[in-house]
Amino acid sequence: MVKSEKAIERIEPTPPMAWAVTVLAWFIPGAGHLLLRRWIRAALMGGSVWLCFFLGMRMGGHMFNLSTGQGSSALLQVPPMIANLGSGALYIVCWLLDVGFADDLTQAARATYEYGNTFLLIAGLLNYLNMLDVFDIAAGRKP
Amino acid sequence: MRHLLVMTVFSVLVSIVFGAVAKDTPRERCLYGLKVFAEFMVIGLVLGWILYFIP
Repeated sequence: MVKSEKAIERIEPTPPMAWAVTVLAWFIPGAGHLLLRRWIRAALMGGSVWLCFFLGMRMGGHMFNLSTGQGSSALLQVPPMIANLGSGALYIVCWLLDVGFADDLTQAARATYEYGNTFLLIAGLLNYLNMLDVFDIAAGRKP
Repeated sequence: MRHLLVMTVFSVLVSIVFGAVAKDTPRERCLYGLKVFAEFMVIGLVLGWILYFIP
């Protein structure tokens, strides 16, 4: 009993700043680490996400949103859309400019089309990992 | 050749993030990142050769 009370006392509340930095890390990949002055991590992890995203676009990949598909097939777009959304502002800007959402046959015929899709999905998923890392550092749970 | 290049780029980028997120010391992170990279490459090549012989 005494031991568990001590364990409860040791749990510190998460600072609100940690949540704010995490949201920033989602919105601009690498910015969270920059704000925490983790320069190398920002360059490596943020740079990986940016590079992955632009290579995916360059290879002709396309991103997912709910506007494609009809009926229940729209629901099939949700999981990849969540992965794409991880890219934060990159996804939002492309969505606003309607860049990278076209799914025409000439684009799909490119040899690197599926590679591009995968790179775009992975860019978002890697940024989710970046967010978790930023949160842990900001909350003092990671050195 | 281009497929191998794309796979290598993919492996490098993912390994960097995996290595940076995991473990505690810089040395452990480097080793883990290299291990993940090697696993990506070896498994990718093995799967590629297996699928090559499957019609």
